[in-house]
Amino acid sequence: MKILVIEDERSLLASIVQYFNQEKFLCDTAGSYNEGIAKIESFHYDCIILDINLPGGSGLQLLKYLRQNKSRDGVIIISARDSLDDKIDGLNLGADDYLIKPFHLSELNARVRALIRRKYAAGASVLQVGPLKADLASRSIICEDQSISLSKNEYDLLLFLMTNKNRVVSRQAIAEHIHDGPSEQIPSFDFVYSHIKNLKRKLKEKGCHEIIHSVYGLGYKLFS
Amino acid sequence: MTRTLQQKSTRYFLIWLPLVLLVGTGLFYILMSMHAHHMEEEQLELKQENIWNAIAANREMPAAHITGEYDLAKGSPVRSHLLDIRRDTAIYYPVSKDWMSFKLLTEQHVLNGQPYQLTTYVSSREITHLIIKVFIADIFVFILLLAAIVVINRISSGRLWQPFYVTLKAVQTYDINQNQSLPLDGQTGTWEFDQLNQVITHLIGHVNQAYSSQKQFTENASHELQTPLAIIRSKLDLLIDSSTLTEETAGLLADITEANDRLSQLNKNLLLLTKIDNHQFPDQSSVKVSEAIEKLLAHYQDHHGGDLPVIRKSIQPGIGIKANASLIDILLSNLINNAFVHNIPNGYIDVRLDNKVLVIENTGHSIEGETGRLFERFKKGREESKTTGLGLSLVQRICGIYHFDLHYHYGENIHRITVMFSQK
Repeated sequence: MKILVIEDERSLLASIVQYFNQEKFLCDTAGSYNEGIAKIESFHYDCIILDINLPGGSGLQLLKYLRQNKSRDGVIIISARDSLDDKIDGLNLGADDYLIKPFHLSELNARVRALIRRKYAAGASVLQVGPLKADLASRSIICEDQSISLSKNEYDLLLFLMTNKNRVVSRQAIAEHIHDGPSEQIPSFDFVYSHIKNLKRKLKEKGCHEIIHSVYGLGYKLFS
Repeated sequence: MTRTLQQKSTRYFLIWLPLVLLVGTGLFYILMSMHAHHMEEEQLELKQENIWNAIAANREMPAAHITGEYDLAKGSPVRSHLLDIRRDTAIYYPVSKDWMSFKLLTEQHVLNGQPYQLTTYVSSREITHLIIKVFIADIFVFILLLAAIVVINRISSGRLWQPFYVTLKAVQTYDINQNQSLPLDGQTGTWEFDQLNQVITHLIGHVNQAYSSQKQFTENASHELQTPLAIIRSKLDLLIDSSTLTEETAGLLADITEANDRLSQLNKNLLLLTKIDNHQFPDQSSVKVSEAIEKLLAHYQDHHGGDLPVIRKSIQPGIGIKANASLIDILLSNLINNAFVHNIPNGYIDVRLDNKVLVIENTGHSIEGETGRLFERFKKGREESKTTGLGLSLVQRICGIYHFDLHYHYGENIHRITVMFSQK
């Protein structure tokens, strides 16, 4: 899988590239509008991660240019602009997703993978991690050939951990991911703990022992 | 008491003009009477002179008495102290059965060595009638004058101030959010209004410029602050995934993560406050309050770990208000969030929505300091580090925009917030 990250902030760019390299993605980078245009004209990418404020032009202009040239590359906008209007503008111009800064890299990873699944692997909607199989169409989890009944939150949580397998995912990232609203509406992160506890118990019942580990209270990691 | 310019000037005229006219009328009456009496005296003296001259020239005595004209008596004066004094008298006229008032003057004359007393009469009735008639006419003229001055003043000031009212209306209906220029007539024909319009046009231009640059600043500030926060967050994500993580560094990372999240939350809320202050939420639609509250409550119940407070609710369905949907969402979520966050173990939350009055009551810790100051920025009820201290401030601003009444009440560990969504 090949992705292009267009972001003028070098430090953030480096973090994203490091994260996706560890995920075995091929990463290309662009630090300005013109550099971005040059890259999208020459190559095809599975996904483009696009900042809006760029030196030399706006990310939205770049997106317009991309769509006018009939390119179907998936685009995820990452922007500090958090108003609904900005979001709608971006999506109307043909972006596939819109992520507001600051975001968690695990969240960006989940979005990129979901986008790639939607766009290129329409038929194969099964995600397998170790003994766990997630059927994305029917939203069900199968463990060792046994179906596990999970609540909506538990399913979202498990899928998020499976997408970010073998990595530590922070409690905050999980909370924001499950909580499909702005993060200021989260009274406490305690609910993550209780969901994990329930999830572990249910997995254990079906024979998936010790697959989710807690990492010093910072976050959780799912081993494949 | 505020009145219009016209009412005010009419009021001044109606207070002062009658006073001036009253004094004027009094003076006029006094002067008129003085002149009239002077005229009577002159007539008396003239009559005296004319009659005596006629008597002296004829050399024979005429009739001694003509009623209302003269009396002629021979001999030295009986009452000499009445000589040369103008006196009032009344004479009875049997024909008209009427007493008539007269002025009389008695003078001593000598003819052929004989003393005579001649008393002449002048009727004072005509002159009194004249005074009264002129006086009445004068009052009519004065009243007419008063009415004319007031009416002319009203009409002329209405016309004079016309450009002012046009300007006033334009400024009143001006909406800074639209960021338009305000075209005002610079050639009204009145120097003062030309100046006023020029100054206002100038001012609006400046305000527009300041408003645009402030909006720009808000956007830029958001971007500039969110970017370093995003970098810190991404580095933290990488750090917690590193293989060299120890328990000690994990503790440090947990603290940094929490502080960074709070910083990012604080930044978001501050920008939101600035945007609300700048009225950058102009879009209005019909917001379904009942549904929004139900949704938020369900959401919190769903995402609340640990002790969930008992939730009691009585929400009248179908309550809607006209407002900005995002703002109402922020308002409601902040209030409900507070009820959850500041609750105590085994506490409760009571939400009632009835006829556009929302009451949220919850158990909680006691508050230190004045309850009225809770709505100020960065004012916290307790020294709890996990909140930004901007939540209630946001609530107050939003209520301010839509003129919702907001009340806070605290008593015996129960907090109650009342919002009245009644719009004027």
